[in-house]
Amino acid sequence: MSNLVWNIGYGHFLVLAAVLFLIGVVGVLVRRNALIILMSVELMLNAANVTLLAFSRMWGDLSAHTFALIVIAVAAAEASVGLAIVVAVFRGRRNVEVDRLTTLRH
Amino acid sequence: MSRPMISHRIRTLILFAVTAWGLTVVGTSGCSSGSTPAPCPPHIEAAVRAALPTNTNMACRLHKTETKKVEGKVYAPQLDVVKADVVLADGRLATLDLSADGKVLEMVYAHDDLYGSSGKIMALVFWVFALAAVAGALFVISRKNLIAAVMGMVGSFLGIAAIYMMLYAQFLAVVQMLVYAGAIMVLFVFVVMILNRPEDEPVAPAGRAGQALGGLAIIYLVGRLIWMLKEVQPPDVARALAAPLPTAEGHDWGSVKAVGTDLFNGGLFPFEAISILLLVAVVGAIAIARPLHVEDDAPAKARSEGGVA
Repeated sequence: MSNLVWNIGYGHFLVLAAVLFLIGVVGVLVRRNALIILMSVELMLNAANVTLLAFSRMWGDLSAHTFALIVIAVAAAEASVGLAIVVAVFRGRRNVEVDRLTTLRH
Repeated sequence: MSRPMISHRIRTLILFAVTAWGLTVVGTSGCSSGSTPAPCPPHIEAAVRAALPTNTNMACRLHKTETKKVEGKVYAPQLDVVKADVVLADGRLATLDLSADGKVLEMVYAHDDLYGSSGKIMALVFWVFALAAVAGALFVISRKNLIAAVMGMVGSFLGIAAIYMMLYAQFLAVVQMLVYAGAIMVLFVFVVMILNRPEDEPVAPAGRAGQALGGLAIIYLVGRLIWMLKEVQPPDVARALAAPLPTAEGHDWGSVKAVGTDLFNGGLFPFEAISILLLVAVVGAIAIARPLHVEDDAPAKARSEGGVA
């Protein structure tokens, strides 16, 4: 047990990433505010990045750093478009609770 | 309507708690026992062992074993590098990269590597920042106040940036702080302020005590900034030129140079594609967030009225 606490290996980083990803998934599923959902998605992207960098270090392959950089850029683009949608929805309906956006429900 | 909704949410939460616990158990048992290296073929092991000092604890790890396919022909498993963990004569641990005939290609002292640097202090640093990341993430999904959630997210990103640093991704750690905490979170705060819900007021101690606290914080920040700027040395060209060149031993894993070399060699197309994606995102964000009805657009209205008059 003390070995598990004081010897940090790659498994620790992977479990941390898994926990962060799960928190993000729970946020997307449970919360109704569109902003919190967007933030949870960002959290999941970050957890994926931690996994990428841990495996990059493990295999001694730097190309995962390029990949993580691209993930960060895509996350920035996703956040800007997502927030624009939130602002547009709020302008029309005066709320951003996703449970109440049911116009497209058949 | 609301009752089944709540029980559904609680059931989802329990499901994910169980999944998280299971993942943690599997992951921790995997990281304590799953690190036994694959054995080398005997003839390679003999050649490598002959090149090393006797009585070394060699753990042979085949670096590259996959078959290669060139122009339709399948080549046998190509053995490029054998990795061996050895104890050197002066007692230091090192990881050697050896060719199949036992020639030492590269030597990395274990002190430079993740496992070697994971003393108690490093473990403590990991746990502190992992806790910050997870606590910030929990803050995000549990707060009703959106400003509090955004601040939790910033704390989580700080922890994740430190975790990147522990994985020797210095450049990405800085990018993480600049892009996420600096740009994306500011954007989130802006949108929270645009939504302007009464329950999203920033929580702060009110009254004279709050003002004193805020004033002290500002004085501390400004003083710290001045102190930092005073510490900056002007560049000394003569000394920089006289300094020894970096050797191969001090490897620059994860530095700007290494990441940039990789990015502009193998990742040039994704890099260019990202620039187009960002342009489309900027145009799309403006197109979506702009008011649909021109009548609502006060400046345009004023302009058109001015034109008529």
